[in-house]
Amino acid sequence: MDDHFRTSDADRDRAAALLRDHFAAGHLTPEELDARVAAALNAKTFGGLRCVLADLPVPAPVLQYVSRMPPEAGRLERGYRRLLFFYPARYRRVHEEEMLAVLVTAAPEGKRRPGIAEAADLIWGALRVRCQPSHNSGEPAWRDALAVMSVILPVIMLVVFAVQETRISPSAPLWVLKEVAAPSALVALVLLRLRRLATLAAVAMFLWVAFRSGDSTLLWATWNAHLLVPLSLEIVALAASPGPRRGLQILTWKHGALVVIAALAVSTAWYPVGLIVIAVIGAAMALASSLGRWLLMLLAIAAIPAWPFFTAFTLGPPLEIYLPYGWGFIGPVLPYGLGFIGPAYLLPAALLAVFAMAARRESRRSFQFPPAS
Amino acid sequence: MTELSLREPTFLILTALAAGAQHGYGIMTDVAEISGGRVRLRAGTLYAALNRLATEGLVEVDREEIVDARLRRYYRLTPPGAQRLEAEVERMRSNTTVAARRLRLLGRTA
Repeated sequence: MDDHFRTSDADRDRAAALLRDHFAAGHLTPEELDARVAAALNAKTFGGLRCVLADLPVPAPVLQYVSRMPPEAGRLERGYRRLLFFYPARYRRVHEEEMLAVLVTAAPEGKRRPGIAEAADLIWGALRVRCQPSHNSGEPAWRDALAVMSVILPVIMLVVFAVQETRISPSAPLWVLKEVAAPSALVALVLLRLRRLATLAAVAMFLWVAFRSGDSTLLWATWNAHLLVPLSLEIVALAASPGPRRGLQILTWKHGALVVIAALAVSTAWYPVGLIVIAVIGAAMALASSLGRWLLMLLAIAAIPAWPFFTAFTLGPPLEIYLPYGWGFIGPVLPYGLGFIGPAYLLPAALLAVFAMAARRESRRSFQFPPAS
Repeated sequence: MTELSLREPTFLILTALAAGAQHGYGIMTDVAEISGGRVRLRAGTLYAALNRLATEGLVEVDREEIVDARLRRYYRLTPPGAQRLEAEVERMRSNTTVAARRLRLLGRTA
């Protein structure tokens, strides 16, 4: 074959991207990933690149030297490549060349552009691939979702807290720093993958918030629900899942940036913008995989104190449901009568139930048959 | 082990692979042949179906070749995949047997 052909920068980068995909799927440890990426970036021939990917599960595209195509075929091929762009990047890394070969072979002689029916078929196929569960490492999706939650929940809490404190006392930076010390510590512990210490810290924060007034009445607890609910979910996520180590395996810097943007959108006062940002990100997560759907559900549970806001801003104007007077962002969870409570929590709960059913159905389907070894 | 019945394109893809490992274009032409030209798979539909079948463990990659400087990947049926196809054939066969018998009776009395 072409083992002795020299590689280009693009080939080496593609091999490195493939290695990161395998790491995210759990086939490599962080040390192996670093070693293999270094080897891939130094590989001078295709043989060298194949060595690095040799024992990783297929499918992974054979990296090969592709000769230049004649310009006519090039235009058709470029048209198809543009359509293939709708597929997830991870899927494309493995299947793009193969699909292009099939598309170009199936195209009749002299065809210049992809047809409309073909374009529709490819875009529909891309949507279906995005909705299908991807090859799992064997972990049930909900455990992976909890692992990811254990990482992003403290980050969200920190961002929301920091923004809130800055708005309350903008000209007292030292005060803000004091207030965000505890959430920052939790974030640091999580990012350092110290699962047990992080669990202890979360429990300590929970107890401190629950009992800091001295008397732990139910009313006090509901006043602090916006802290207690996410904290208890964080404790569960840290305890019942592989933890931040696994979560950080799955997450990328793009995800991290998205999380911070979403948290900022929620905590600023621009509620319509915040809701739209959350809706778009949530839809993308839900479409991406069953892991995304579980994650969305868990985040919705963490945001239970904010459910009345969600209902008020989506259904409120048409149905004339408004937030009771005096209801702030940190307002009580169980006040003001069932007339408001019912609808306020029903809509998000219904959406949550739909997601739960969809996520469970996908999880069960992907584990009906054992994956081929 | 009662799952939902297979949709026709999926059934035809499994049937095509039952003859041996094939690549994407080969599956497309084979499916057109099997269905007598009735079902024409396009690449998007084919690969979405292959992706789902692979995740469920019914098909797997057989080998990869380079033909005309293009990547060609062959797929094959796994044992669970063959079982699934068999189960589907059984289900359809029992359904069609009952339907054919009743139609014959219908023809006699009509």
